[in-house]
Amino acid sequence: MDGPALLDRRLLIVTGKGGVGKSTVSAALALVAARRGKRVLVAEVNVQERVAPLLGAPPAGPVAREAVPGIFTVNVDPRHALEEYGLMVLRYRALYQAVFENRLVKFFLRVIPALPETLMLGKILYEARVLEGGRPRWDMVVVDAPATGHAVQLFRVPAALLETVPRGPMRRDAEWMQALLTDPQRTALSIVSLPEEMPVSETIDLDAQVREVLHIPRGPLFLNAMPDARFLPEEREGFEGLQHAPSPLGPAARAALLQAERAEQAERHAARLRSAVDLPTVTLPLLALDRWGREAVECIADTLEVHV
Amino acid sequence: MGALLKGLSEKRIAVVVGSGGVGKTTVAAAIALSRAREGGRALVCTIDPARRLAAALGLASLGNVETRVPAEAFEKAGLAARGELHAMMLDVKRTWDDLIARHAPDEVHRDRILKSRIYQQVSGALAGSQEYMAMEKLYELATERDYDLVVLDTPPTAHALDFLEAPDRILDFLGNDTARLLLAPAVGAGRIGLRLFQLGGGYVAKTLSRFTGSDVLRDVAEFMENFQGMYEGFKTRAAAVRGMLSKPDVGFVLVSSPSPLSIDEALFFHGHLRAQAMPVAGVVANRVTPDLWEADEPLPSAANLAAALDAAKAGLGDGELARRVARTLAEHQVFARADARELRRLRGGTTGAHVSVPRLGSDVHDLAGLAALGSWL
Repeated sequence: MDGPALLDRRLLIVTGKGGVGKSTVSAALALVAARRGKRVLVAEVNVQERVAPLLGAPPAGPVAREAVPGIFTVNVDPRHALEEYGLMVLRYRALYQAVFENRLVKFFLRVIPALPETLMLGKILYEARVLEGGRPRWDMVVVDAPATGHAVQLFRVPAALLETVPRGPMRRDAEWMQALLTDPQRTALSIVSLPEEMPVSETIDLDAQVREVLHIPRGPLFLNAMPDARFLPEEREGFEGLQHAPSPLGPAARAALLQAERAEQAERHAARLRSAVDLPTVTLPLLALDRWGREAVECIADTLEVHV
Repeated sequence: MGALLKGLSEKRIAVVVGSGGVGKTTVAAAIALSRAREGGRALVCTIDPARRLAAALGLASLGNVETRVPAEAFEKAGLAARGELHAMMLDVKRTWDDLIARHAPDEVHRDRILKSRIYQQVSGALAGSQEYMAMEKLYELATERDYDLVVLDTPPTAHALDFLEAPDRILDFLGNDTARLLLAPAVGAGRIGLRLFQLGGGYVAKTLSRFTGSDVLRDVAEFMENFQGMYEGFKTRAAAVRGMLSKPDVGFVLVSSPSPLSIDEALFFHGHLRAQAMPVAGVVANRVTPDLWEADEPLPSAANLAAALDAAKAGLGDGELARRVARTLAEHQVFARADARELRRLRGGTTGAHVSVPRLGSDVHDLAGLAALGSWL
């Protein structure tokens, strides 16, 4: 990876297929950065909020809120982003409400191509570059981005605008947005994947799109929930014969065989991923935890700390 | 035959729903395969199958076309094909185009709509568009073909509920009176514009045009106008689709993984199906970690296992291995107990047949794998 270390960039985009653990990795990266004294904003994009609850805090909604010391979260939604934008243009809330009657706003947000994406991305990228008292408001903005297809749609917006909008304020917005997104000094995009068939296939496709369509500098790949290969082939063979042995040996042998099988499958998928994607891979272990929350995020952060 | 398949044996339509990544597609295909093996004529309509599964169903390069899975594929898997298995992949854009063609009063209107860039947005990117078309396709397949069973695999929506509400939301959007009124042509300041441009001293139009250019607003107006004559037809058909889904020969199948978020989603969706009197045929808990230590006694220590390994004379009796095995069983049971806890929640809150499929050794990617999955249903 050319450019500064991952956590020294201003904008960190985390994406991948639904259910691979994007929110956990986003929260863990924020935690590592906060441990290093950084002030971090984690932005989710119009979803049911995950990051603040993972950190043990209530959801923030559309206004940034401190979840744990040093980490703020926000859930960016197009209606609120339009309101913020509208207020910047119109100056007065009463006037905004008069002209942007709710149903109508909703209508335009749905029908006008790329309007919601532009507004949400504009809001996030604005946070990544806005200054407060002469210094950046955030040391780092982590975007817990939508799943694969929607992420490409979202981050392609500035380039698409540059292709179609000839001049004016909107083009100027698109220019700085695209400059920020493609700057290896300030920005990186990391994909989170799982060692399973569909997530690996999607990761390979998505990585190609990042290189060929989005041109956003690529950060390391996070391979999540990887079981470790802990048994030798001859040990597995031994367990085969013990599966039906009386307790405790039988259940223990079955657990060992299932673990070995799962690790072998995972390794096959991981190998396919590594051979298809030319990126450094950070492997995160499969955690045997009863509940998924702050403890899990801290565990992942501990592993990440030595890699990023 | 398992409880779920038994519950579906009288049904003509099965709609498989659940949050993304829980295995809806394989469950849908396994249900259809099972009916074909029983001698029926079954179709599975999928959205985005994994490549190897698509290949197994003969869907490598097809879209929106029903294809029969060849008899050789059954032979290769060692299965008797008493009936027929058909498969298709939903092509959202094509389904939209067909629907427009069905409702357009004439070719001029049809072509105007198909070419509109707002239509491209509505049919391609509008949230709920895919779900709406899945329902539309299902209606067509159920009313214009003679399958014994049509199984619909629903799109990987963030919220399963989107699927039920999509037709209403999209129709509400297409029939939005406020928008139509504001986008209607108006004569002002000596030239014809949109009423929108007169509102709030032009602020709305000015602000919106900053994003879009005023020609896009005009496109929207034109699209709304062209669509207006077709709205009633769309509405009637959507009501028919809705009516079809509450008939007794339809069965919804909820698929969930044991993860708490997936279970929440399944419970939420189940509540809505019940509230709208839509028949729930059953609930599939997929990829469940089996409980290997049901006894109340504590898990074996490394020393217990070392002694047991020693006694079994399996040539594995080393203490270090016993520690690894003890840890593996303990970790396995953490997953198993968490899954069992979540499954109790799922069972307590849902009706219909409950089946649980263990996490299988490998991804399901052929007919034999689908048949094996079917045996759990």
